[in-house]
Amino acid sequence: MECEAERPPLGVFKCQLCALTAPYSYVGQKPPDTQSIVLLEESYVMKDPFTPDKGRFLVLGSRCSLCSRLVCVGPECSLFYSKRFCLPCVRENLDAFPREIQQDVERRKGPSKKPVGQPGSGT
Amino acid sequence: MPPPRAKDGRDDRGRPCDPREEEAPGKWDWNCPETRRLFEDAFFRDEDYIRRGSEECEKFWTFFERLQRFQNLRSPGKGDRDPGRPKHSIPALAGLPRTYDPCHRINLSVLGPDTWGPRGLGRPPPGRVAEFRQALQHYLDFGQRQAFGRLARLQQERAALPIARYGARVLQALKEHQVVVVAGDTGCGKSTQVPQYLLAAGFSHVACTQPRRIACISLAKRVSFESLSQYGARGYQIRFESTRTAATKVVFLTVGLLLRQIQREPSLPQYQVLIVDEVHERHLHNDFLLGVLRRLLPQRPDLKVVLMSATINISLFSSYFDGAPVVQVPGRLFPITVVYQPQEAEPPASKSEKLDPRPFLRVLEAIDKKYPPEERGDLLVFLSGMAEISAVLEAAQAYARHTQRWVVLPLHSALSVADQDKVFDVAPPGVRKCILSTNIAETSVTIDGIRFVVDSGKVKEMGYDPQAKLQRLQEFWISQASAEQRKGRAGRTGPGVCFRLYAESDYDAFAPYPVPEIRRVALDSLVLQMKSMSVGDPRTFPFIEPPPPASLETAILYLRDQGALDSSEALTPIGSLLAQLPVDVVIGKMLILGSVFHLVEPVLTVAAALSVQSPFTRSAQGKPDSAAARRPLDSDHGDPFTLFNVFNAWVQVKSKRSRSSRKWCRHRGIEEHRLYEMANVRRQFKELLEDHGLLARARAPQPGDSHSRLQQRRERRALYQLKRQHEEGGGRGRKVLRLQDDPGGCSSEEDPGAGDSVDIQDVKFKLRHSLDQLQAAATAAQDLTRDQVALLKLVLGRGLYPQLAVPDPFNSSRKDSDQIFHTQSKQGTVPHPTSIFASSPEVLHVQEQEAGGTEGSRGNKDKMSSRHQLLTFVSLLETNKAYLVNCVRIPALQSLLLFSRSLDTNGDCSRLVADGWLELQLEDSESAVRLLAASVRLRARWESALDRQLARQARRRPEVDQEEEEDPGTRKEVADLSRELLKFTASKSDTDLYSDCLRTFWTCPHCGLHAPLTPLERISHENTCPEAPQDGPPGAEEAAPTPLRKASVLQKPYHCEACGKDFLFTPTELLRHRRQHV
Ligand SMILES: [Zn+2]
Ligand SMILES: [Zn+2]
Repeated sequence: MECEAERPPLGVFKCQLCALTAPYSYVGQKPPDTQSIVLLEESYVMKDPFTPDKGRFLVLGSRCSLCSRLVCVGPECSLFYSKRFCLPCVRENLDAFPREIQQDVERRKGPSKKPVGQPGSGT
Repeated sequence: MPPPRAKDGRDDRGRPCDPREEEAPGKWDWNCPETRRLFEDAFFRDEDYIRRGSEECEKFWTFFERLQRFQNLRSPGKGDRDPGRPKHSIPALAGLPRTYDPCHRINLSVLGPDTWGPRGLGRPPPGRVAEFRQALQHYLDFGQRQAFGRLARLQQERAALPIARYGARVLQALKEHQVVVVAGDTGCGKSTQVPQYLLAAGFSHVACTQPRRIACISLAKRVSFESLSQYGARGYQIRFESTRTAATKVVFLTVGLLLRQIQREPSLPQYQVLIVDEVHERHLHNDFLLGVLRRLLPQRPDLKVVLMSATINISLFSSYFDGAPVVQVPGRLFPITVVYQPQEAEPPASKSEKLDPRPFLRVLEAIDKKYPPEERGDLLVFLSGMAEISAVLEAAQAYARHTQRWVVLPLHSALSVADQDKVFDVAPPGVRKCILSTNIAETSVTIDGIRFVVDSGKVKEMGYDPQAKLQRLQEFWISQASAEQRKGRAGRTGPGVCFRLYAESDYDAFAPYPVPEIRRVALDSLVLQMKSMSVGDPRTFPFIEPPPPASLETAILYLRDQGALDSSEALTPIGSLLAQLPVDVVIGKMLILGSVFHLVEPVLTVAAALSVQSPFTRSAQGKPDSAAARRPLDSDHGDPFTLFNVFNAWVQVKSKRSRSSRKWCRHRGIEEHRLYEMANVRRQFKELLEDHGLLARARAPQPGDSHSRLQQRRERRALYQLKRQHEEGGGRGRKVLRLQDDPGGCSSEEDPGAGDSVDIQDVKFKLRHSLDQLQAAATAAQDLTRDQVALLKLVLGRGLYPQLAVPDPFNSSRKDSDQIFHTQSKQGTVPHPTSIFASSPEVLHVQEQEAGGTEGSRGNKDKMSSRHQLLTFVSLLETNKAYLVNCVRIPALQSLLLFSRSLDTNGDCSRLVADGWLELQLEDSESAVRLLAASVRLRARWESALDRQLARQARRRPEVDQEEEEDPGTRKEVADLSRELLKFTASKSDTDLYSDCLRTFWTCPHCGLHAPLTPLERISHENTCPEAPQDGPPGAEEAAPTPLRKASVLQKPYHCEACGKDFLFTPTELLRHRRQHV
């Protein structure tokens, strides 16, 4: 097999809202090995594990610009609207966001992450 | 430094456009190739995230088109302001864009381009650039979402595995104990998860053994994928390749490889934790490893061991390791209904011994009747062997054609890889798969979607007859444990049904567990390994379950026969070399001998060919076309030479027009995959010989000028790219099976356009091997001189000795199909149907015209001839007949004179008995004596050439890469020896292989006894004759390894001047003794 000079992981990213953990190899706005892309927030980045192409990255998450919680980019934990916001913060300040975002967040409330068959999600 | 965001796409949008650059309405066309190229040149350069011409680039344009259609649909309502919202008091919220636009939700931005292409088309209108940039951002964002979704899903799946809840328990148990048993059935996730739990807990030198090579690769890939490389590199190490690096924290390796590591460093200092997976399969070397570990544990109190097993006989393992704690993981099985359908004694369908398919068809009918076709769920049928599979296949396919509700597929290990893969394809709606399988589907192959299982209750396994040293394929009832495994296959994806074609009382009578391999197979390699690891007498080794003493004795005897052990059962030099080579003893001997005679390249190919499954496809066996197409490659020297020709011809095809090699193989009924395997094994053997100093390491050939170097690098880069593209494409996807409409036709499309698709095997082959080197070897093979071929045969013959078969005297008057051969232990064997000697037996017949030369004293019946030949074979396989597999013909007299362990002659050398079972009569006793004397001389010289080679090898070892050139003396010695061996084998002396009776009248010179005796009887008389003089040195009786040897006629009394003692020596022994005093 060809040698793989992989960038060593800097640490393990852990979302403070869900259990997702993954090793990251870069934090910042300018992912390595890519010249023409900038990230609009300080992001935790890993090499995209689903392609052998070394230059491809995957943004794992970043800090909420309101509460500074480290959250993943998963739709159940955070959203990006010119800045990163964790979902709890968005819900608290829902009126600060445009209608489209509000509707979107309402929709997200519906499907709970809890496994099927757990009654009483409290609606 | 502030983050670079000046060229944000958003800025373009609000700015009034320069009318000069605005194109006339309706004229802009994104589909125009020129336009696209302009943008690609600017945005998709080699250093950019997406590269021009890549698959990704195509995907982008597809996305782009979709996005445009979507935006056209909803463009009117865009940009409505939300003026009612007050500016927020929290600063972070105050700056949010007031107007909603989906692009605000993208957390990345694309810069550039710095320049617009050199094509002179100039800069496109900024509006279009912005449009493009936005689309690209959307595309990248979409890719991020997709990849992140996969990542999250992967973690959810891991958390949902049954083992996930037990990880902490395993770690806790391992804290308190040195050995822990993890028991859980296939699918509970133990093989992939336990290594990761250990790494997450901070262990860093983890080895995980697997019984199969293929599992090492797939597990290493899976674990690295799941753990997202967070534990540094992980790797696997198997016979052919290693991806291990210094940073490797977990390595997957075969049991055999771990044992060899223990051989080198008995305390295994390189590992902290050892996971031994699939211990319940009870493979030979796995059982041995457990024994070795049990001894090692007290010396390595810091070493942790995890045994992983299916839920079979767990207490056996736990108690073997002092009551090690067991963590049992419940499987994820749905309920399965068991239906016992014992086969009543019914009138046989036909007179043949073929399996009656009717009970199996009844199950198919019952399923059709009871379950509507919309309810999906496939059927898996367990049969004992290939013959049984084809019997049921035929009947089931007829039924399937009639009902159009089934696709019937066979599954067994002799099938081509492509055909095996078909069982993973999906059936069209309303149709079920019916997979007819051997026990390969019990644990090795997991097929999803099985709802019904039919269990015949039978299995065919290699049984081993230690007396006959014969591998025998026999049918057995399965064990209860296997029956449960088979049943379990029906409940992996939903509730299932298992039809057992035997009675419940039969089940109760089954043995609880399968017979472990150590009780079924030949133990040669195990004993050799045990000897080289100095674990003491194999007879007293504390195995988890001891092997039958008779198999142990046979193995020890065999190794002595092969010269790997001496008379005190200690390793000989060649034996210790053989123990280091992870190959069969016979193959190892060939490789060593080949290296002595400078025949390494051809011997490598032959040894590799004999180490993999036959490349001739089963289905092609009956096809006269394939056989005819292959005929030019047939060699009448024997099957290994045919394989040699096939491989070389294939390499030539590959190097000339590699795309067509697949077709070339198909046309000749050759499974190309086996040839790739051969190439891998060959390379591995070559590296072994290099590692052990038997072959000078080849320096990488440097192409002369920089131009060709550049060319070569470019080619390799292109190959890597092809490989990467293939991997991105995910390899072979699931196909939809077709109903069989043509009788006997197979399902799944034969891709007729395969010609232009990438042959990934070909790509990998070229990356792994130097085609130039292989081709050079193949070309050299074409030019092998007759002498070299004869030498090669000698090497094979000596390697394979004493695996000999003698043709039956009446073969020449028999039909081709009735040719029989006798081995020392087995009468009436036949060459395997694929053998050249099955299709052209006449090459073995003694030409009659020879007889004319001799004064007609003995008559034609005895057939004095110098053309008598023997078959030497690689293995003996017993199914319905005893088959000789991979045969080579060798000249009888010369081979026996050169190879036999003992030779007995009468006074004038007109009769010779080799190893107590093959007798030769020689016409001309004058020349016979000369031949005998010559053979004795040659044997001694051969022996010393071999000794020298072994000594050279022993000196060269520890990895010092000193390029010790073979000294000219040795070179000349080998050349002389080769020449004389050839002269010897070409010598003509008329012999008769078939004298009526070995008994001849004989008078004992000491006691005067006169009786008809066989040579053996005579020898045993001589040993015990009360009148015989006691002229040997005292204790010689004990020192001689066997009475047969001691009394061999070749031994002569010898008085050594140097040590002043009397000996009884064969000429070889004499030479050896003399050398001591030099
Ligand atoms: Zn999260
Ligand atoms: Zn927050």
